[in-house]
Amino acid sequence: MSLRGSVTVAGVERSKLLAQLKVRIALAACAISPFAFAAAMRLQSNLPTDTLFGRSVTDSGFAIPLVVLGFAALWVFPVLAGIVGGDVFSAEDRYGTWSTLLTRSRSRAEIFAGKVLTALAFSATAVAILATSSVAAGALVVGRQPLINLSGVVLPPGQATARVVLAWVSVLPPVFGFTALAVLISIVTRSSAAGVGLPAVAALVMQLLAFLDSPAIARQMLMTSGFDAWHGFLTEPSYFGPLLYAMTVSLLYVVTCLAVAYRLLLRRDVGRQ
Amino acid sequence: MIARPAVEASGVSKRFGSRDALRDVDFIARHGQLHGLLGPNGAGKTTLMRVLLGLVRRDAGSVRLVGRDLDAMSEPIPDRVAALIDTPAFYPYLSGRANLSLLARLDGETRTRAGAIDRALEQTGIEARADDAVGSYSAGMRQRLGLAAALIRSPQLLFLDEPTSALDPAGARDVRAVARRLADEGAAVVLSSHDMAEVEELCTMLTVMNDGRVVFSGSVDELRTLAPAAVHVLRTSDDCTALSVAAQRFAVKATPIAGGGLDVSAPIEALDAYIMGLGRAGVAVRHLERRTRSLESLFLELTGHTSPDSGVPAPVDAEQLHESSVAS
Repeated sequence: MSLRGSVTVAGVERSKLLAQLKVRIALAACAISPFAFAAAMRLQSNLPTDTLFGRSVTDSGFAIPLVVLGFAALWVFPVLAGIVGGDVFSAEDRYGTWSTLLTRSRSRAEIFAGKVLTALAFSATAVAILATSSVAAGALVVGRQPLINLSGVVLPPGQATARVVLAWVSVLPPVFGFTALAVLISIVTRSSAAGVGLPAVAALVMQLLAFLDSPAIARQMLMTSGFDAWHGFLTEPSYFGPLLYAMTVSLLYVVTCLAVAYRLLLRRDVGRQ
Repeated sequence: MIARPAVEASGVSKRFGSRDALRDVDFIARHGQLHGLLGPNGAGKTTLMRVLLGLVRRDAGSVRLVGRDLDAMSEPIPDRVAALIDTPAFYPYLSGRANLSLLARLDGETRTRAGAIDRALEQTGIEARADDAVGSYSAGMRQRLGLAAALIRSPQLLFLDEPTSALDPAGARDVRAVARRLADEGAAVVLSSHDMAEVEELCTMLTVMNDGRVVFSGSVDELRTLAPAAVHVLRTSDDCTALSVAAQRFAVKATPIAGGGLDVSAPIEALDAYIMGLGRAGVAVRHLERRTRSLESLFLELTGHTSPDSGVPAPVDAEQLHESSVAS
């Protein structure tokens, strides 16, 4: 397997993705929905007070991306992870194109690596667009007022921007974990519906499990716990333990899911039998 | 120095569950030859091609393509090896040209860009629809696009799996012309088919498969010399007398058909003499029709479709078959 070969495959996959309407719609939704949310918050009298920073959405534009982040953690991130991760392999089954793909000058390992790179890149891009759009929506629709953090300390705009960006970056490891899970489901089931839908179902199940009376370590082993790791950046003093847990747990999911998925793809017989 | 074969497969076996799809298959195809892979449906032709291309994992045996060992599933097929397997599939939301462009990028060869793609589209006769989405293509057009996708690899070795199955006569003629041209230019072309006439017309070498095994391997000429006489259906005014006239002739074998008429197997000269003999015996010939051609007869015999008691024939090469034919 060569890095150049994997990058070539990733380039081809990117071209295929950009030609698909559903991918363009998903990215457009990531770009537009924060503005719609910010506008709705501006217009309505009720605020999402049961959400972290929900009380502040009309006081500081920096609260908007944090509320969007908290909401996206429920099911949006797992769905975004599944849109490409859950389809990038099973689409070849759906179109019957495995033989076409595997009779070119690229090995299965390169094709696997290229497709996984594409899925991870899409997930990161979708999160980045959602984050950028949320920050922009907050700044343009509400304004760049200082943000009061969870400890009641006022953060000036510069510091608030850094914390918000860090909060969004912190969700990338679990997003990658869900992407890897979607890849595995896509390869095992050969079904795009399962690949896109089951990661979201898995996220809901993990969130339910988090409510059970189980040891803290068990809850931290759930990938969805990583979506809350950013809370520690918005307290005084800040704490980063949950982020380290989230990164470790997500890495475990990524490595395990991708190792199993690769093994299955390598051993798969392609074609009618 | 003798050039290495384009394909060298030895002792290849593959099981799907409890079914042996390939049993100890040896297969060699050389550059500059059109090599037919013939057999009834389910004989193992497509599975063999898939194993040779690394699409299906072999359980045993070795495979070497254009001089390079193919290590099961971990390696890509060598450059300049191309294949058209089944009805080829493409990304339906992209145009034919865009599909070829992506495949060329996967090959990572600058020589396969625009010029080669245009040439391949022209050779396969789909340039007029090249910018339409593949989702709107007929099966025949997808087959032509599949051939174009193979051609942009400038193949030294080309696998064609029933390449004319979805094509109209003109399309089939074009595909055969391309295959012949590539072989003339020195490429090895392996063509699978269950159509004896197509293989006989195109190929110089032949491997016949049945039930996952090779039952004949040799040249078409060798097979032709071994072929039994063609079988004709004969209807006469007096089948009983016709049968007794046949019994007097060594080279003519006649068997009654249920419902009237005879199956007559004889070399063409002996058949001529037999028909004239019937006239002399006062038997009128009302109908004479060739049921199977000679090579077709042998193909059916090799694949166990003529004599129910023969079961699955044991693998033989041309020499063994010739000996058994002479002995009988």
